Amino acid sequence: MAPIEQEITARWIEIGVRFGFVVLVVTFALYVLGFVEPLVSPPDLVRLWQLPVDRYVAATGAPTGSGWLRLLIKGDYLNLLGVAVFALVALACYARMVPIFLRQGRRTQAIFAALQVLVLLAAAVGVVG
Amino acid sequence: MEWWVWPIALFALTFAMGIVAVLAGVGGGVLFVPIVSAFFPFHLDFVRAAGLLLALTAALSAAPSLLRSGLASVRLAMPLTLVSSITSVAGALIGLALPTAALQMALGLAILGIALLLWRSGGSAHPEVRTPDALGVALGMHGVYHDAALGREVEWKVHRTPAGFAAFAGIGVVAGMFGLGAGWANVPALNLLMGVPLKLAVGTSGFLLIGGATSATWVYLQRGAVLPMLVVPSILGAILGAKLGVHLLHGAKPAFIRRVVLTVLVLAGVRAFLKGFGL
Repeated sequence: MAPIEQEITARWIEIGVRFGFVVLVVTFALYVLGFVEPLVSPPDLVRLWQLPVDRYVAATGAPTGSGWLRLLIKGDYLNLLGVAVFALVALACYARMVPIFLRQGRRTQAIFAALQVLVLLAAAVGVVG
Repeated sequence: MEWWVWPIALFALTFAMGIVAVLAGVGGGVLFVPIVSAFFPFHLDFVRAAGLLLALTAALSAAPSLLRSGLASVRLAMPLTLVSSITSVAGALIGLALPTAALQMALGLAILGIALLLWRSGGSAHPEVRTPDALGVALGMHGVYHDAALGREVEWKVHRTPAGFAAFAGIGVVAGMFGLGAGWANVPALNLLMGVPLKLAVGTSGFLLIGGATSATWVYLQRGAVLPMLVVPSILGAILGAKLGVHLLHGAKPAFIRRVVLTVLVLAGVRAFLKGFGL
């Protein structure tokens, strides 16, 4: 029998991955089938994806930082919701582990889980980079 | 060429890659970045972001069963993940700041180094850890897992923990910089350096990768380097390919497939290196 934090983490990852895949597939279908207008049309993308990212951003007016959240009405940026779900799974799992470790009196592990949450949060909100 | 050819080609390639990765016992990310950057028209910035997401989703998909079976240990992974997730952010920032030509050459050299590492490193099923070090003990890096093949519980503990931290700091930088995932380095670092039994090292490697790949993914996302047209077909192809690969595992000849993968890695590494010179 695996420790309780592993059982719970496994369940949370499973839910996150299933949800992420559904969002990814649905939003990608909306994008490529042309149901939601993209910021950069697929034919234009063929010319632009050869550029380094900074020149791509300059050429398309694509957002940086958390600006993609404001463009979720665009077909291409809508897909980033699914990507964000995958990128939030670890944060949610580590945040869930903190109270479990504290209840078990495993303070060192609780501190590491809390620090991991801070690092992932800092990366997610763009504090670093 | 029509735009829709590329996502279909990516799906086909990553589907095949997903099968081969399972049969050869390597991560998909380490194949994806060199092959796609060498033979597709996308800029390396977008390929690296897609490679990280490929590694992240593959690790997330495999994690639940490994965690439940006890073949992945959160206790072992957590301190090392913290280090690698900080350094993978640094790696992503370095990668995005370097000139493309320099990055191409560095990628070529990294891939050739990884091919050498995969070729040379065997692994020890149950390495001997006579005296666990103080740091490992303080961090609770010890435990028991059930080995189904042996039919018994196997005790594990670690040594050389400070060196392990240094190794995972370096692995994080390389993984974030090139979008390669990190399974190719996690397993030897856990097994050969820290003395973790091979099965536990393989199982924990994937869970360990999740933190580092996640933090670096956010950097690429915020820089605008995540292109859904590359990312989504690649993820879907790799996941479906990996599912088929698991079914084919029984009749496969892993040693032969591993040699093919190493050859492909060497060719892609040389191609990436030469691309750095504009060749």
